[in-house]
Amino acid sequence: MSELAEALRDVFREVFDDESIVLADNMTATDIDGWDSLMNINLIIALEGRFGIKFATAEISGLKAKGQNIGTLLKLIASKR
Amino acid sequence: MATGSIEFIVLLLLLTLGYSYVPSAWGKRAVLGACSAGFIAQFLPNLQSVAFLAAFVILGYAVGCRLRARPDHRLFGGYLVVLVAAFGVVQRYAVADWVLGDLLSGRTIVVIGLSYMLFRQIHFNVDAMQGQIPQTTFWGYLNYQINFLTLVAGPIQRYQEFSHFWNDPKPLLQTRHQVLSAYLRIFVGVISVAGVSAALLHAHDLMYAALAEANSKAAASAPVATTLRALAVFYLYPMYMYFNFAGYCDIVIGGAALLGLRLPENFDRVYLARNVLDFWTRWHQTLGFWVRDYLFTPMYKGLAEWNAARAPALAFLCYFAAFVVMGIWHGTGLGFLIFGLLHGAGASAAKLWEMYIVRRSGRKGLRQYLQSRWIRVVAIASMLHYFAFTLIFFSNDVEKFRVLIRASRHAWFGT
Repeated sequence: MSELAEALRDVFREVFDDESIVLADNMTATDIDGWDSLMNINLIIALEGRFGIKFATAEISGLKAKGQNIGTLLKLIASKR
Repeated sequence: MATGSIEFIVLLLLLTLGYSYVPSAWGKRAVLGACSAGFIAQFLPNLQSVAFLAAFVILGYAVGCRLRARPDHRLFGGYLVVLVAAFGVVQRYAVADWVLGDLLSGRTIVVIGLSYMLFRQIHFNVDAMQGQIPQTTFWGYLNYQINFLTLVAGPIQRYQEFSHFWNDPKPLLQTRHQVLSAYLRIFVGVISVAGVSAALLHAHDLMYAALAEANSKAAASAPVATTLRALAVFYLYPMYMYFNFAGYCDIVIGGAALLGLRLPENFDRVYLARNVLDFWTRWHQTLGFWVRDYLFTPMYKGLAEWNAARAPALAFLCYFAAFVVMGIWHGTGLGFLIFGLLHGAGASAAKLWEMYIVRRSGRKGLRQYLQSRWIRVVAIASMLHYFAFTLIFFSNDVEKFRVLIRASRHAWFGT
């Protein structure tokens, strides 16, 4: 697991308050309990703080869109760092 | 010529049949542009309205270009205030009339679909400022705003989706089956709008008139008959709304697909929603997503960053604010404000209930709760009735609520 993926997993565990979360590239929002619109914003705030990046509105709404998964989120974060 | 009228359907079908024979991308854009211009022109009653529409679109595009070149939150904030104020004045919201008084008398600006244009404009400007809008042209932006297929009642398409089509207008449907399905969808839409929803509205209006008449009589009306009429009014209106709006969407989405434009879906098994938050991901989806992305998200994110400890509580404030804006966006009457407040209350209640279950039984408990068949049935039935209740205020301000209450009281208690 890359350093970025590990850091992302830690953020997820903290935001969703669940130490058992294990991320995989093909996982989507429906695979993680409680990932609703509100938690999506909490996740974005945590990601922005952890990685020192900013997400655009279209990117925030796109995180839970069809075709998006942990792999695309990792790529998005990597492209912004 | 309203969307869903015979003239509109005939012209849409003729356009879909002839569109593929238009030789070039430039020609296709010109044909669509002419259709949109002709469509909106019939709803512009005077030069003031034309001038307002021109200023609205030109200024929106200019600000978008400026923000795209040089992001500036102050400029955007200032522009947003002007934009919303202009919208309030033109739509004649009570607060605008109160502030401006006699200045507005005699001035009648009417721009159909302005509320949709407002939301498209805000989206365009925000996304442009955040670097999410590719290179654009005024011609493309103008057609995005006045596209005759989405002008009157959405769906609220995002600019990125429209520009993909506009830059390269080519057929979307590849097989004969897809083409026939699109025509079938238009046909289903016409049946829904002109047949089913018209019949439902007629029945609703008859029942409502009977209730209102019963209220005006001195003698108490038959309790059973009055109750049945009240129930008919209660249930028929949501059914009318669904068939009318979903049917309209079928017509424009099917027609757009035949022209090569993929419009976003606007309905997803609406009457399976189990709470208000779920409901707005199924009913008028593009509006629900717009409110989530451009109202709720920035509001909640800003508040949560400002005070993380109070973020969970502040979320409820954001639900109310977002749904109130959504309510009054639909219209100017008090009923729309109540409609928004009720949906804000419903969203807050759904979230509170979810938090309570998580606290009591954990995420695993919530999963089991959501999987329970009986709880699902009760939740869906409750949501259906709650939505029907909120629509009482949507259709006829607060008068319908008064009529229903008065009729029930009159019938059962003779008062």
